[in-house]
Amino acid sequence: MSVDVQTSPPAPSAAPAGRGTWSLSWHGLRTVTVLELRQRVRSTRWKTALVVWFLVVGLITLLTTGAFAILSGDGMADEPFGGIVYSIVVGFVLFLGLLVAPTLSSGAINGDRNAGTLATLQVTLLTPAEIVLGKLAAAWIAALAFLVASIPFLAWALAGGGVSWLALLTTVLMLAVVLGVVCAIGLGFSALVGKTSGSAVLTYLTIGGLTAVLPIVFGLLVPVTTSTEEVRVWDVEPGYTWEETTAPECEWQTHEADVWHSERTWWLLAPNPFVVVADAQPLGGDPETLADDGNMLALLQYGVRYARTGDNGEQDWCSYMVGSGTDSPVEPVVVTDQLVWPWGLGFDLLLGAGGVVVAVNRLRVPTTHLPQGTRVA
Amino acid sequence: MTPDGGIRARGVRRSFGPVHAVADVDLVAAPGRVTALIGPNGSGKTTLLLMLAGLLTPDAGTISVAGADPVTENYVARSRTGWMPDVFGTWDSLTAREVLTTVAAAYRIDAARARARAGELLELVHLSELADQPAHVLSRGQKQRLGLARALVHDPDVLLLDEPASGLDPRSRVDLRVLLRRLAAAGKTVLVSSHVLTELDEMADDAVFISGGRTVATRSVADGDVPREWRLTALDPEALTRWLDETGRAYRTESDGTGVLVELPGEAAAAALLRSAVGAGVDVSSLAPAGGVLEQAYLALEEERR
Repeated sequence: MSVDVQTSPPAPSAAPAGRGTWSLSWHGLRTVTVLELRQRVRSTRWKTALVVWFLVVGLITLLTTGAFAILSGDGMADEPFGGIVYSIVVGFVLFLGLLVAPTLSSGAINGDRNAGTLATLQVTLLTPAEIVLGKLAAAWIAALAFLVASIPFLAWALAGGGVSWLALLTTVLMLAVVLGVVCAIGLGFSALVGKTSGSAVLTYLTIGGLTAVLPIVFGLLVPVTTSTEEVRVWDVEPGYTWEETTAPECEWQTHEADVWHSERTWWLLAPNPFVVVADAQPLGGDPETLADDGNMLALLQYGVRYARTGDNGEQDWCSYMVGSGTDSPVEPVVVTDQLVWPWGLGFDLLLGAGGVVVAVNRLRVPTTHLPQGTRVA
Repeated sequence: MTPDGGIRARGVRRSFGPVHAVADVDLVAAPGRVTALIGPNGSGKTTLLLMLAGLLTPDAGTISVAGADPVTENYVARSRTGWMPDVFGTWDSLTAREVLTTVAAAYRIDAARARARAGELLELVHLSELADQPAHVLSRGQKQRLGLARALVHDPDVLLLDEPASGLDPRSRVDLRVLLRRLAAAGKTVLVSSHVLTELDEMADDAVFISGGRTVATRSVADGDVPREWRLTALDPEALTRWLDETGRAYRTESDGTGVLVELPGEAAAAALLRSAVGAGVDVSSLAPAGGVLEQAYLALEEERR
């Protein structure tokens, strides 16, 4: 006992008379974020994951580039291969990101609770919002580290040509936001569920729901959204028998036909992280060149825009029968320039915000309710 | 003693589902005193401390900690309370110093003062040599000491310590006792829960006994004389018992036969007994309280409950 207990009593400096659950301060936020990041940076597991990530993404880039260099080697060497490599790398980074991001946040709250370190933060003057958003910031920064590790390969694919710098910018931005949303959802579940494995599973299920289940629902709804309607059809003249030697005349008729109203259900595709990332890039031009380019992101973007556009009400049943040369009066479908991603991203952000709100409410002190099987400390 | 300082809890209740962890607790802990919270395992000590620390809402009852209600004025109450949990979880990869500076930052203490305070507290709990080691290399007792330092970071008016002595070596226990006495002398309210009664005996002024989630007794330990049993031994035990029989004193021999136990109202009575025994030619070799006040009180309560 060589030190006097009373020397320089550091009374809490300028603590506001009362800060509510949702009060935020830069100081508090930084304290939690630094604490979380410090622990992450010092764990070897995280470093290993980052190195493995770098190697895997690098390998995929190398293999894709190699494959297309060989394919385009026979005769079409001037064809830019950037589009396809770029889209594969982006798709892969997003896929891996969706796998990694939940692990960064889905144990952030229940893990601390189990380790007995959550309550020690709750009794301090940090507000629940500071604890939750600080943890979210730390998880997001960790996820962004993975994204940064993949930027060299995205830039490399860009060098292959066929993709604009603007596309790279929007893609990286959207990837960052999507990863942030996944972290927020994971955080919400980690506050809701007692076991870290449980919250991880729920986070993966949610991401899986957005990525796979909603598109499947979209597909299953095709019969429902398809209706038989009177459609103006550019058809072969009535009474024409195919034994005649002269080509048939095409003319306008009205038929009963099945029309798929995908414009009623396109929004099911919007929250899909891949759609959000793909649709945020500048809309490509001609659908014909899209297919040649092999840029799958651009194809995906075209697809969802097509779904949102829906049927234009006229069908051409004649021109291809008669053969080319005849001009079809039916306008080819021009996909809408109405954006899909703001809707999807908006929905995803709402989910993320929901996660944050749930987590903050769960960290409110004093607590009245405890998740099953948990202790306060 | 300020009128609104210290800890006051009245009729506090809290249940978890069908389990009534705390059924009805009344507790007063005054500033400048060390109050012991005593009860068997599972009697609701930890739950009560969680409510006092502002982490758990009581189902019923009122609490005031350092003049603030932890339910309605949680933030103010938290700023004046230092809480040391029984299970000390720690951020394993942080060093002891970083743990303290982080907690200081969480209490909104600026960085320079936090550093100074961390150094001070590490010295206080004798962890200066391990200050820059990651917390996971610390032993259980060392972690316990770090936990105590953590509870003191913001110089709280009220200290809530849940089993602070568990895992401590004898030297650290003495240090803990001295530290708590000094904090009390400085006007702090100290509430210590434990079931190691001999320890509390030496540091507590008051004691609150809880059992089955209820306050069963409140005793003052240090104030005045408390009737208790004293152990008396003599070179010739038979001479001693003969003398006791002659003077008509009630006593009982200990089961292991080394001495006799006499119930005495206080220290003056003990001195008088010794004087007259020596005067009568009995070679008394020792006269001392048998067991601690708290231990006797606790065991007496156990007896009553049976």
